[in-house]
Amino acid sequence: MNSVSSRTPRFVRIGALIGVLFLALPIVGLLKRVAWSKLWSQLTDVATRDALRISLYASVSATLLALVLGLPLAWCLARMQFTGRRFVRALVLLPMVLPPVVGGVALLGAYGKTSGLLGGVLDSVVGIQLTYSLWGVIIAETFVALPFLVLALEGGLRSIDSKYEEAAAVMGAKDLTRFMRVTLPLLKPSLVAGLMLAWARALGEFGATITFAGNIQGRTQTAPLAVYTMLESNPEGAYALSVLLVAICVGVLVGLRDRWIGGASQ
Amino acid sequence: MISLHGTVAVGAFSRHFSLEFGNEIVGVFGANGIGKTSLLRTIAGLCPLGEGELKVNGVIVDAPAKKQFVRPELRNIGMVFQDHSLFPFMTALDNAAFPLTMRGMKRNIARKLAMETLEQFGVANVAEQLAPTLSGGQSQRVAIVRALIGSPQAVLLDEPLSAIDDESRESVRNQIREHLNRLGVSAIVVSHDRTDFDHLCTRIENYTR
Repeated sequence: MNSVSSRTPRFVRIGALIGVLFLALPIVGLLKRVAWSKLWSQLTDVATRDALRISLYASVSATLLALVLGLPLAWCLARMQFTGRRFVRALVLLPMVLPPVVGGVALLGAYGKTSGLLGGVLDSVVGIQLTYSLWGVIIAETFVALPFLVLALEGGLRSIDSKYEEAAAVMGAKDLTRFMRVTLPLLKPSLVAGLMLAWARALGEFGATITFAGNIQGRTQTAPLAVYTMLESNPEGAYALSVLLVAICVGVLVGLRDRWIGGASQ
Repeated sequence: MISLHGTVAVGAFSRHFSLEFGNEIVGVFGANGIGKTSLLRTIAGLCPLGEGELKVNGVIVDAPAKKQFVRPELRNIGMVFQDHSLFPFMTALDNAAFPLTMRGMKRNIARKLAMETLEQFGVANVAEQLAPTLSGGQSQRVAIVRALIGSPQAVLLDEPLSAIDDESRESVRNQIREHLNRLGVSAIVVSHDRTDFDHLCTRIENYTR
């Protein structure tokens, strides 16, 4: 028996179809432009290999750094009542909605070698220059990826029933042991989802990276920056690298299918 | 020994208790809402005492006026939770061995001891099953093993037989009594079933609203 709510009007179906085409067409266009016979040689080109290496190294480092910063942040947001909590949450979300280039400019204001709030001190005291260095790429990617991880972990921590941690405490598990043996296994699905989303965001970072760390081949040029640069000089290479990035992103979606898109098929 | 003279306060609930339990099995009986579970949670350290003083084996573990509060992980109390609260990502055996590993025992020795106790409670056959796959009765027996196994200095049992079927009830009661007698500590049993008290407890405290 069809209820009124389960009947889908024709104009809604057509609208949905146009939406699907709008999303699918660029991917089809990209696949059509790829010179498949030269794909391997394009992907093993020096500039592409450098870009992939830097991307992989920086995105994994940024994800780990985001985890170190994001886990305590998510914990406090999920489980503590403190003055300014709403402000801290807004601050955490800001890099998500901020134009990435503006994020890069803001990072220059903080860590720029000459005019940054901390950049000069870091350079003269510790001897680390963040701008135009691999560190800069990692910082820029962490800045944009952190909110994804914090949001996933905060949601995960909120959904954990406190009875398990209480039972562990009564059985003698102290804070760190309780976290490692009980909270972390319960948090695992959210942690995996958060790490994958944060890593995918870091991998795709463009605006903040080019503004803060520049676009120097072999040093700060990540895969998205290489695609942009090669589009003029070597379009076939740009398409080859693009299709690889699409494949990686599809892999992330497949990895997250149970959590994010599994429900849609039911 | 448990000595509590003070107010148990959880959320809007508040009730004054004045009790002295020796090394005996005391049944706490009373209607819903008189604070039986809150009393156990307070003794375990999961809810702080509103006012007054709580001692376990002569040591003050909670006294708000003196700003003394011993955290639950340092009280060494065994507890069966009303909903069992077995860790869902662990097997029955690892759940049962958990308190032993928290006391620094090596995992394989802890698992061996836990296996022996699971056997005594008739659930050794499900030892390697994940907690969510256990039946209500199996899960409750594992929870009982987990509460008794770590040589606790007091044992709190919140409706410990509610999910056990009638045929096995007596043998589980006997096992609990045997273990508690061997431990020789204060034990508090909360139940709705008077026959559990008659067979298990040495004394009954009846609370009314």
